[in-house]
Amino acid sequence: MEDRLVGPEADADETQREDPGRSEGDRPTGRRGLRLQALTKHFGKIVAVDDVSLDVEHGTYVVLLGPSGCGKTTILRMIGGHEVPTSGQILLDGEDLSRVPPAKRPTTTVFQHFALFPHKSVVGNIEFGPRMSGLDKSEREQRVNEIIELLGLREMRNRKPAELSGGQQQRVALGRVLVTRPKLLLLDEPLGDLDRLLQLRMRVELRELQRELGITFIHVTHNQEEALSMADEMVVMEGGQIMQSGSPTEISQHPRNEFVAAFMGDNNILHGSVREVREGQVVIDGDLGTYEAPNPDGRALDEGQQVTIAVRANAVRVAPGSSNGAVNSLAARIQITEYLGDVVKVHMTAGERSLLAKVAESRFVEVSGLHGEPVIASWNAEDVQILDD
Amino acid sequence: MTDAAGGQHYGVGQVDEADVIYGEEKGPTKASQVGSKLTAWLWALPGVLWLLFFLVAPVVVIVIFSFFEVSLVGFEAWTWTTENYETIFSSSSTYVDTLISVIINAAIVTVVCLVIGYPVAYFLATKIRSQRLSIALFIVALAPFFTSALIRVVAWIPTMGRNGAVNEILTGIGIIDRPLSWLLFSDFAVIIALTQLLVLFMVTPIFFQLAAMDKSAIEAARDLGASQLKVFRHVILPLTRPGILIGSVFVFVLAMGDFATYRVIGGGRIGSIGVNIQNAVSQIQYPVAAAQAAVLVVVMAIGVTVLLRFAKLRERL
Repeated sequence: MEDRLVGPEADADETQREDPGRSEGDRPTGRRGLRLQALTKHFGKIVAVDDVSLDVEHGTYVVLLGPSGCGKTTILRMIGGHEVPTSGQILLDGEDLSRVPPAKRPTTTVFQHFALFPHKSVVGNIEFGPRMSGLDKSEREQRVNEIIELLGLREMRNRKPAELSGGQQQRVALGRVLVTRPKLLLLDEPLGDLDRLLQLRMRVELRELQRELGITFIHVTHNQEEALSMADEMVVMEGGQIMQSGSPTEISQHPRNEFVAAFMGDNNILHGSVREVREGQVVIDGDLGTYEAPNPDGRALDEGQQVTIAVRANAVRVAPGSSNGAVNSLAARIQITEYLGDVVKVHMTAGERSLLAKVAESRFVEVSGLHGEPVIASWNAEDVQILDD
Repeated sequence: MTDAAGGQHYGVGQVDEADVIYGEEKGPTKASQVGSKLTAWLWALPGVLWLLFFLVAPVVVIVIFSFFEVSLVGFEAWTWTTENYETIFSSSSTYVDTLISVIINAAIVTVVCLVIGYPVAYFLATKIRSQRLSIALFIVALAPFFTSALIRVVAWIPTMGRNGAVNEILTGIGIIDRPLSWLLFSDFAVIIALTQLLVLFMVTPIFFQLAAMDKSAIEAARDLGASQLKVFRHVILPLTRPGILIGSVFVFVLAMGDFATYRVIGGGRIGSIGVNIQNAVSQIQYPVAAAQAAVLVVVMAIGVTVLLRFAKLRERL
């Protein structure tokens, strides 16, 4: 119980934020932050989470991203203590949490659909945690008021959840957990119930809040854009396993495998076989032409080996003309152009395959004039990513 | 002068624009409003007619009768008197005493039903994981209702009687020397029998309330550090209060108006209003019976009102 009360202060300075409740001596061995070690969860015969290991430093905004059923929520629930792992460990600052009940963990969860107490007012909801931990009245009131100010809920402090809009409910749900000063805040699809405009605003609000508090947020979503815009560290999952983790730019620019490339969208996935490997450059005989790609990891590639590559849509150039058979350029025809405000999506076909390019908004008129005409889709070698099998 | 919608900063704590947008979409057209009002009244019609014919009309008739004069042939129509009420409230009448004991018994039955019924409903609604099984078990719990109330009441006689099963077992084991006489024809017996008869009226609304409850609220409460007991006290109990109240109203009203159980299990020794009314009717004192019934209706109405007011049911629903 002690842990819940010594979380970081909302306005504490950087040094205080560093886990004031523990001295060096009584901390078990191990690194700081959250570590998932070979975490596995079976539901009967179904393997929901399959041997997942992950390290998260304190103060990171982590987003677990994946399609439904990929195990992201199960991981969150295990961290929060709402599911018991079949095997593996959850270590927070080196201490195993796997068997600690949720009430005793320095984590709190913002549940999907908020799960507010419908019979309690905004204040009643927010003060619930401190009340349960037996905080005395004056301290409790002070903390609740801090949170109410922080989240701008003063005018509706006595309203019931049913009398609040989605965005306000969301804020109450946040306040209810933040007031307990967790070390780790778990958010299960926190923006799923909000309309789009509100989602966009809450993304910024959540991000600001996390920076201000300096605690770790672990956020589960199936929305790529949301993940890219919010995460310090993104974890893309599928079939109970981590497909790739890294910063949003890494995931977006260097998808490691076909799943990530396809799931993140806006990637052209092409196939071919290796013709030649020379000094970090790989030449590939593709089904549509010759591709060249860097091989920064220096991975071992044999001649003749089948490979899959990804080219990001916004790295693809579109120009009128017929192909001259140059490397990394394909003869294509434009099918549809999609005007999206800031960019234009150009859907093309090259042979049997469809290709996607994203070009600047200013080229909309020009590009739509090229419908049905032969065009050249080309890209630079450094924008090609060789994917793992 | 900034645009009211676009000029504001998008900061924490700002009123949602979504409210405004959605607010405008409400308010159907006049024509559809008239149509939907008519449909609403049509839906209400059967219920209204039912209540008029079978509740309001009889109560009005009873109230009118209760002010008629008693005569040898039953009553003297349209001769007004308050004598009947004076009779039942006079010191020689047992009506008030009976009324008080019936209220006490009904209150005890309500509490016992709640204490027994809540765990049953809780178990069925929350501890059984499969919804199908929980509904099946609920129907099993309803099984006693497949037989007539009278049979269930009569069955208490061989169970609780002087030479009944309970006494036989207790003397057989040697816990008591002589059969207990208060097991039957006593307030205790009436309370037991009424509880058995009415407990499902408590279980049912609580069960449905629990089944409809958002279970994630319980999870959230756990997450926020509440113990099992506190989760129950601060979350589950308040959320099921409407069910508890509806159940309590059912049980209380039915226990107060009961006739058969008092007659059979009370064995004529334990008075009930129903038995009193029947006695008045058999003595052709219809206006007195009517007055007794009218007072019972008023007392029940007061009881229910107090219960609902006390618990602010409206607000919770």
